[in-house]
Amino acid sequence: MTANKLTLQNIFRGFLFLAAMLSLAQTLVAQDTGMVNLHFIHEANGKGLVLHDSVYTNRAGETYSIKKLQYYLGHFRIGGTGSMPEGDAYFLVKQPYVEEAKPLELKLPAGTYTSLGFTLGIDSIDHCSGAQSGALDPINNMFWTWNSGYVIFKMEGNSPSSPSDLGRIEHHIGGYKAGEDVAQTIIMNASKENPIRVLKGRVTDIFIRVNLDAYWDGIQQIRISENPLCMSPGPLAQKIAANFPAMFSLADIKNPK
Amino acid sequence: MKARVILLLCVTVMSGALWMGATVPDLGYPLPPDPLPLQVPAGWPKPLPQVFAKNKPTEQGFQLGKKLFYDQRLSKNGQVSCANCHQQFAAFATFDHDLSHGLNDVLGKRNAPALMNLAWMPNLHWDGGINHLEVQPLHPLTAPDEMGESLDSIILKIKSDTSYTKMFRAAFGDAQINTQRMLRALTQFTGHLVSANSKYDKVQRGEASFTEYEKRGYELYKANCAACHPEPLFTDNSFRNNGLSLNRFHDIGRQAITGKPSDSLAFKVPTLRNVQMSYPYMHDGRFYSLYHVIDHYRSGIDTTQPTLDPQLKNRIQMTTKQRNELVYFLYTLTDSSFIKNPRFSPGNAVLVPGPDMHKAGMK
Repeated sequence: MTANKLTLQNIFRGFLFLAAMLSLAQTLVAQDTGMVNLHFIHEANGKGLVLHDSVYTNRAGETYSIKKLQYYLGHFRIGGTGSMPEGDAYFLVKQPYVEEAKPLELKLPAGTYTSLGFTLGIDSIDHCSGAQSGALDPINNMFWTWNSGYVIFKMEGNSPSSPSDLGRIEHHIGGYKAGEDVAQTIIMNASKENPIRVLKGRVTDIFIRVNLDAYWDGIQQIRISENPLCMSPGPLAQKIAANFPAMFSLADIKNPK
Repeated sequence: MKARVILLLCVTVMSGALWMGATVPDLGYPLPPDPLPLQVPAGWPKPLPQVFAKNKPTEQGFQLGKKLFYDQRLSKNGQVSCANCHQQFAAFATFDHDLSHGLNDVLGKRNAPALMNLAWMPNLHWDGGINHLEVQPLHPLTAPDEMGESLDSIILKIKSDTSYTKMFRAAFGDAQINTQRMLRALTQFTGHLVSANSKYDKVQRGEASFTEYEKRGYELYKANCAACHPEPLFTDNSFRNNGLSLNRFHDIGRQAITGKPSDSLAFKVPTLRNVQMSYPYMHDGRFYSLYHVIDHYRSGIDTTQPTLDPQLKNRIQMTTKQRNELVYFLYTLTDSSFIKNPRFSPGNAVLVPGPDMHKAGMK
């Protein structure tokens, strides 16, 4: 007997398949959803970030340039409710070099919302459940191979203030175990005059400013001369991570007309 | 209305039949892979549930994992496979090498551990830095002193080999190739490396009996070693400082992972199974024989180290005759059916003939 035969069992499975397809289609139609495109604008000293060439200064007068900037976001929630985007729960946001930055696309229930929130980081369970795929695929070079765990925020650059080899800055921020957790919850509020509107079948563009000035001078002061390298979980990684929330703010909301 | 329902039913049946039948070979491998559940030896604890939680082993996945394990092309120069440092005849350690050499004969800084009974081992590496068997291969695959290749290149190489395409399809249902599937296939192979058929096991099962020497050695083992190397796995998978001096690489062991000074110089307690074959010993391979190892516990332990395991503060009191009896017992943990099992051997397909044959095969 081969799998090609039209047996009763196969007919039954055919029924099940079609029923499943119908119910799926029904669900998709029933829920009114719109698209939200999140545009991340990386800035320092009030200027848009340009990798490699441009030089910026922190409050201590340390000048630096950036070669690489990428981080994980997940658990998107809107208006205080815990609405998650469909599909992959995590996104890897990267500052592109020359190419146009692609927005991060969320499908959200239609409605009017006053805040947008997310987690900068990855849940501990996803750090210790084996090999992951999608945004969490270790092929993205955001996984420590010698001490299992994700780098949730990676910034690399150069500075004359760095005492490290070739004046480098390498901040690989991670840590998920108790006492080492670096994940941060970030909530950004929209103004009452211009809340986030998600309309069925339409696109809302949200522009999020990510200000590197707050990376060096937020709740904590981070100095290149003292900490050019951060390559493992621990107190320094947690100190730097404490500055993440202040970096993010809503720059603009373009609601569908 | 009724006619429409009947029509719908007809369409349903037709599409169901098409889905089950004619279109199946185009969708992917027509047959599901054959389940290969891990056989748990009698009297052993259950394997750790997380090891195969999302990765149910199949014969096809195991075979794919074996091919990957023995494939030298996964390395940057195409000459180093996992098996270069994990040789079956040495219980998947590196035979007769204190330190293994990887890409371009660069020496590593630690002794390659023997691989067996990994489905019972919660943390991998001498310092326990690896928290799941699936992510264990990432370090040796990419480390410059091991296989030195990027994951991007590895996936490209695998994708360009049609024999892999077929095997991924057979193991996972479709031909998609990614790091997750590669790592899961490797886990299916390494997780099945179970050694439980030594003379010791046969004695436990009533199929053999110890000699007088071995019997006395077994009693010595129970009195002096079993606290950290308990039966049946012959390790408690803990991390302990056994009083070795800090080596030339300043390897502080577990402390590098936890950041805790109390973990300074703590290393994983290795299994004693197949210990006869897995020499040299310790995390840096500093002892070349079991006699040296036991002599370390008798007289070599640095008892001034603050993190020394408390059980070793008085060292282990044992006569030379007793030491030799203990070694006789340890030899009964050699499982020749494991180190010769053709299920775990590469066969002839993977070794590429050429000028590097000797180097590749005999390393």
